[in-house]
Amino acid sequence: RNFRSADVHSKDFPTNMAVKFMGDELSKETGGKDNIKVFGDSALGSEKDTVEQVKIGAIDMVRVSLASFNGIVPESMIPSFPFIFRDLAHFRKAIYGAEGDKILAAFDKAGFVGLAMYESGSRSMYAKKPIKTVADMKGLKIRVQPSDLAVAMVTAMGASPAPMPMAEVYSGLKTGLVDAAENNIPSYEEAKHYESAGVFSETMHVMTPEVVVFSKKVWDTLTPAEQVALRKSAKASVAYYVTLWDAKEKEAKAAVLKGGAKIVPASEIDKASFVTAEKPVWDKFATTPELKALVQEVVNVK
Amino acid sequence: MDLFNSINARLSEWALRAASVCLAALGIVVIYGVVMRYAFNDAPPYVEQVALLLVISVAMFGAAAGVHDAGHIGLDSVVKLLPAKGQFWCLFVVELLTIAFAAIVLWGCEHMATSTRHDTIPTLGISEAWRYVPPMIAGVLIILFSVKHMLALFTKKAAA
Amino acid sequence: MELAVLSLSFVLFLALGVPVAFAIGLSCLATFAVEGLPLATAMQMMVSGMNVFSFLAIPFFIFSGELMLHGGIADKILDFARSMVGHMKGGLGLANVMASTLFGGVSGSPIADTSAMGGVMIPIMKREGYSADYAVNVTTHASLTGALMPTSHNMIIYAFAAQAAAGTIDGHVIRGVSIGDLMFAGLVPVFWIMVCMLIAAYWQAVRNGFPKRADGSSMLERFPGWKAVLTTFIAAIPGLMVIVVILGCVMGGVTTATEAAAIAVAYSLFLTAVIYRTMSKDKLIKSLKKASKTTGVILLLIGVSNMLRWQMAYLEIPDAIEAALLHATQTPWLMLLYINIIQIFLGIFLDMAAHILITTPLFLPLAMQMGVGPVQFGMMLLLNCALGLVHPPVGTVQFVGCAIGDISIGEATKTAWPYYLAIWIAINLVTYVPAFSTWLPSIITGHPVF
Ligand code: NA
Ligand code: NA
Repeated sequence: RNFRSADVHSKDFPTNMAVKFMGDELSKETGGKDNIKVFGDSALGSEKDTVEQVKIGAIDMVRVSLASFNGIVPESMIPSFPFIFRDLAHFRKAIYGAEGDKILAAFDKAGFVGLAMYESGSRSMYAKKPIKTVADMKGLKIRVQPSDLAVAMVTAMGASPAPMPMAEVYSGLKTGLVDAAENNIPSYEEAKHYESAGVFSETMHVMTPEVVVFSKKVWDTLTPAEQVALRKSAKASVAYYVTLWDAKEKEAKAAVLKGGAKIVPASEIDKASFVTAEKPVWDKFATTPELKALVQEVVNVK
Repeated sequence: MDLFNSINARLSEWALRAASVCLAALGIVVIYGVVMRYAFNDAPPYVEQVALLLVISVAMFGAAAGVHDAGHIGLDSVVKLLPAKGQFWCLFVVELLTIAFAAIVLWGCEHMATSTRHDTIPTLGISEAWRYVPPMIAGVLIILFSVKHMLALFTKKAAA
Repeated sequence: MELAVLSLSFVLFLALGVPVAFAIGLSCLATFAVEGLPLATAMQMMVSGMNVFSFLAIPFFIFSGELMLHGGIADKILDFARSMVGHMKGGLGLANVMASTLFGGVSGSPIADTSAMGGVMIPIMKREGYSADYAVNVTTHASLTGALMPTSHNMIIYAFAAQAAAGTIDGHVIRGVSIGDLMFAGLVPVFWIMVCMLIAAYWQAVRNGFPKRADGSSMLERFPGWKAVLTTFIAAIPGLMVIVVILGCVMGGVTTATEAAAIAVAYSLFLTAVIYRTMSKDKLIKSLKKASKTTGVILLLIGVSNMLRWQMAYLEIPDAIEAALLHATQTPWLMLLYINIIQIFLGIFLDMAAHILITTPLFLPLAMQMGVGPVQFGMMLLLNCALGLVHPPVGTVQFVGCAIGDISIGEATKTAWPYYLAIWIAINLVTYVPAFSTWLPSIITGHPVF
């Protein structure tokens, strides 16, 4: 079969390239029996729409931000906790390792099969001025994604969260409707936010990964061999994705610098001040003993 | 028959009033959000989601009232070419198809509400299923209004 | 097979007289059933299509248009236009064009504009010796400019449909389209449409000797003097200011484009209730109800169009159309001509909201490959869709106009060609001269616009 997979990014974005790669691997594994057709550009709907379609079995797979599952799979919130990862190495070890597998396994009870997670860089603050300590955040109007976790995170920093759709952020920054926003470098570049918020401070506060999810309804109709092949090709796509993503980040960084943006490197950020402010947020969202244990496990990864 | 018509007329009026109240509330909540953010630097995070629930209510109740008053845009130039009997059956089939559509809206939205009842709407904390309630109510109303139009067709035919 | 079910059932339902929204919905559902897809997904796409944050602007713009209409703002604008050009040959026609264009900016909606201006002007014009078809056609065609104004809810729909636009033009990477850019992009085309329409209306009036009463007498209005022009202009300013208020809120960082629509409602209410004191409780409730019903009709159309969009993407129809058109030609001007012709053809069947949502994903990627950016394409599309509103069989603005003028669709269509031509010329200017739509927004926002 030709599994249909949805994505909101354009066809040549790393997530889409990686799922296509996964399809090629799957085709090899199954002797040409199965493959994956990627529908990019939100053609089948928003992240929320397509997650629901996967659940109901209208489409077979989807690649979305893990944040899209926050209201569905509580475990999916953990990688989005502010400063839960010390650095990229820590993230990779946990998410591409046993802890990541535990989070993916949690999708099962919500009617999904979690196949793989991909990194999406780290989100950092950008504004007209540098943000080096949590004190610099005081009173700033920060655009956040419309999610409880993002609102709580920005509030804990002493700033005032202004949830608004991504499409309105460019003019919002330009006109001063919001003072700052936060995202990873490729989005900062692609949405041209550097034109009006020219200082990108590497606060690296959140490292929400992407996730590739399969429909449980469809999954249960597959042969065990197909299921194994799907899992195997999903895992195989991670390394391929990481190469593409690394290149994308480097390219984006060069482009924003060329566009006149200034980058405040992570070494100049008083990270400790942020971490102290954000600890209460973890407790607010890790409400059950199981979630608390998993948080601890992620933190303990050396 | 007259009772059924007057109940329908009242339901349509209530639907329109409900839609109007939601529209007014929509305006108030959005402007409240602007004022809080601009003047007090304190944007209420729930505005977007409340507004989305309100707009679906305005739309679905308004659309149902539109069916009662035959306000939806359609094409009648082909049907008008037919003889009276053909016109009658065309109008009958149109009502039948409208009922079919509304029934699927009711059924499909019930299905979606069940499927999403454990998911929460961010910043509000209530179930996603609420999003599908206004279309379900509208589905019921549209069925009633179409039955009314259908009965009116037969009455007119009997009179003629 | 699926494609045949989709298209044939749609044409059948439409011919039977099923309202367009239900016809689109039912033909999609039939296709879902044939493919064995869950019908609940169709409903999900319908609801999520209506539940888009930027679409909040739709009920707001419709509501503010109703407030302006019931609050008598339309009359003030009309008084100004009449005092300025009412004394010329075909004066009421010219005044109608001007007033319809200006009120189009206030209401942002061709239908609201036609009911507002037509309701007042068409009976007066008929009485003063203009033929009914002339009065109707002048009103309906000039009202189309509303679709390109900053208050246009159709522009909001387009901005949403175009958000996935991606490509490179002149070395600039393009992602999506900014509502702010679009709001300024329509102003220059609107001005030229008004000029083209004034010429067409004048020419028709001179040719037919309007005004010409049944008893043979012909009375031109007397020029009331520049002082009267100034007085009526000042009286009309507060109404016209709604455009400035909206653009000011967005540019000044007070609101997002979506929220600006709510500010437009507040402004209209303030203006009619406090300044002019023309708004009563009854009129307010009437406006609310009318706006709610119109919102329902339009958002339902948007919802089912989203269902159809999903169905077409699932069947990979956009890719097939793109391949077919690229096979037909690689020459930009020819491709754009094809796109415009297909758009006019689709305008025969589709209402505006459905037309925008369905055709943007089909043609915007192609247009971008031909070097046309999303702002310029948006103006092309909005104009094409608007033109569909005044030609039969599904021409909602024409319905309204003909109902007011008490003439048949056929009578109106027979003499509509000069105005049709005027707008068609404007479409081609927008299509082949990018600066026509992109110059003003790039000057004002200070960044390149495509
Ligand atoms: Na409008
Ligand atoms: Na038409």
